[in-house]
Amino acid sequence: MMELTIEHLNKRYGQNWALRELSLRCEPGMLGLVGPNGAGKTTLMRMIATLLSPTEGAIHWNGQDIRTHGQALRQVLGYLPQDFGIYPEFTGRQFLRYLAAMKGLPKSLAHRRVDEVLEIVQMEQVADRKLPTYSGGMKQRIGIAQALLNDPELLIVDEPTAGLDPAERVRFRTLLSSLTRNRIVLLSTHIISDVEAVASRLMILQEGRVLADTTPEALLEKTAGKVWSVTTDQATALQLQAAYQISTMVNQVHGITLRIVSPTRPHEAAVVIDPSLEDAYLLAVGKQTVRV
Amino acid sequence: MNSTALTSTGKLTRAIQRPHPLTRVMTWELRRFCASRLFWLQALGFFCFSLFLTWALHASEGLATVSNNVQISGFVAGTSAGGLLRTLPTVLVVLVLLLPFVTADGVSRDLSRRTHELLMTTALPTWAYVWGRYLAGLVMSLGLALLLLASILGMGGLLHLTVADYPLPQISAVLLLWVGMVVSATVLVSSFGFALGTLLPRRTTLVKIVILLGWIMGAVILPRGLGKTTPPAWYVNWDPTSAITALGMLPQYSFDLRAVTSAAQLQQLILTIENKMPDLAGWFAPHLLLAGFSLVLVLVAALAFKRSRDVLN
Repeated sequence: MMELTIEHLNKRYGQNWALRELSLRCEPGMLGLVGPNGAGKTTLMRMIATLLSPTEGAIHWNGQDIRTHGQALRQVLGYLPQDFGIYPEFTGRQFLRYLAAMKGLPKSLAHRRVDEVLEIVQMEQVADRKLPTYSGGMKQRIGIAQALLNDPELLIVDEPTAGLDPAERVRFRTLLSSLTRNRIVLLSTHIISDVEAVASRLMILQEGRVLADTTPEALLEKTAGKVWSVTTDQATALQLQAAYQISTMVNQVHGITLRIVSPTRPHEAAVVIDPSLEDAYLLAVGKQTVRV
Repeated sequence: MNSTALTSTGKLTRAIQRPHPLTRVMTWELRRFCASRLFWLQALGFFCFSLFLTWALHASEGLATVSNNVQISGFVAGTSAGGLLRTLPTVLVVLVLLLPFVTADGVSRDLSRRTHELLMTTALPTWAYVWGRYLAGLVMSLGLALLLLASILGMGGLLHLTVADYPLPQISAVLLLWVGMVVSATVLVSSFGFALGTLLPRRTTLVKIVILLGWIMGAVILPRGLGKTTPPAWYVNWDPTSAITALGMLPQYSFDLRAVTSAAQLQQLILTIENKMPDLAGWFAPHLLLAGFSLVLVLVAALAFKRSRDVLN
């Protein structure tokens, strides 16, 4: 049995609510959590990982409240924080062996498991280098490796691709997608393409509230017929930018091509185009974003 | 990246979980320190400085008198029982200046380094984490205290071989004073620093400053401020810095030099001073009790420690 249930979760910092009335039920598979910065994604991840206590509501792992049975959850938890530190004295291999020991793995199993996770993240060649010599991408891969050490049933990864170059991001997505079998994976990101590539379920958070809890396909379907493309002059482009949500804006030789998210036709020359998940996300959060 | 499968399941891992989490935390914390070149350099630096201090203070008290218009002089060996009462509190200050830096960050270092979240999401029991970190810090602190002992015995032996009439340190006397003064102070400062650093993880610099200033006040400024005044007996017994304790015992080592008429007689007198074992009654047990009390502070810190925090780095 693998089930994560969240009921009416609220979290308040001082006078500010970071999460409001969040309820959720997860079974094996990947749930992508998306939302703008400050939406409450990291707060939610930390509460599930037992690092923060809810102000109200409850989180259950396999039917047990994690406030009273946190240890049972931590035994099957793999967690990659958004921003984690390292021990500069250690090599990558020593760091993983250290965390394997902290996770309670017996020595012989720990050594074998460290070798396995190093292979999974393709770090065998550099595993005996000191951690401070690692690049950002290598450090992230060591981060995911440590999260996999105990073969977790619940894997939480918070903004894992932030700071990675495009090639490393793609590699990381592929890795995450290979890990979704037989476990619950919670992936938090503000990069929509990451979720689009790997998540079977999508939750959009904004200002601590759930805007949508759906599948990428359903969200795309809901957005169909609401994404437009138009090429126009600069003055009209500026008018459209002020009036509509613009997904992308590309300067071309013969004018400016806008990708507009709108339930109605924004311009007589606009034509309907296939929506992307980013368009669907923009429609859901109702926020203007421009990518030039 | 490929998709190598993990060979065993999480259930297997949980079924054969490694026991003794306290030993695990301690061992790895010590291993982490030992992996740092800086740590070894600091330990070596401390040992060399202790050797130097022992050498510099080897004539702990100069004795001189005039008999038949001839000046007779000698000194009490700094590594003898009587000499250590004068030198040990000074050398101890140097050790204590280091101890808060070894232990106060035992837990708070994870917060500042942002490794806290990685550790707190493992199944490691909270008590094992806190006590393991404390014990690792204590072992390192006691290691420094051992280096101090080694420097006293080592330099004492070297001086015995190279300086005329310099006595070989009496191991039993040195050990007793080392346990009563150095070990008790090491446990006290290490525990106090760790407990406060754990309770106030974002104020560890302040914790270190307060401990250092407090010790300098008690070991250096207060004894000088006393002048010729006799300190109260309870303070002599309970002074954690041992500076006042030593001051309180020194009258047992004072002799009337006017009766000395020859160099041989002075040397005999010096030998008596050097070999006279300090009176342990009164202060030895209170010093160990202070060290034991500091363990209660660690217990409080361990009980107050929370895995989950409302504000994380």
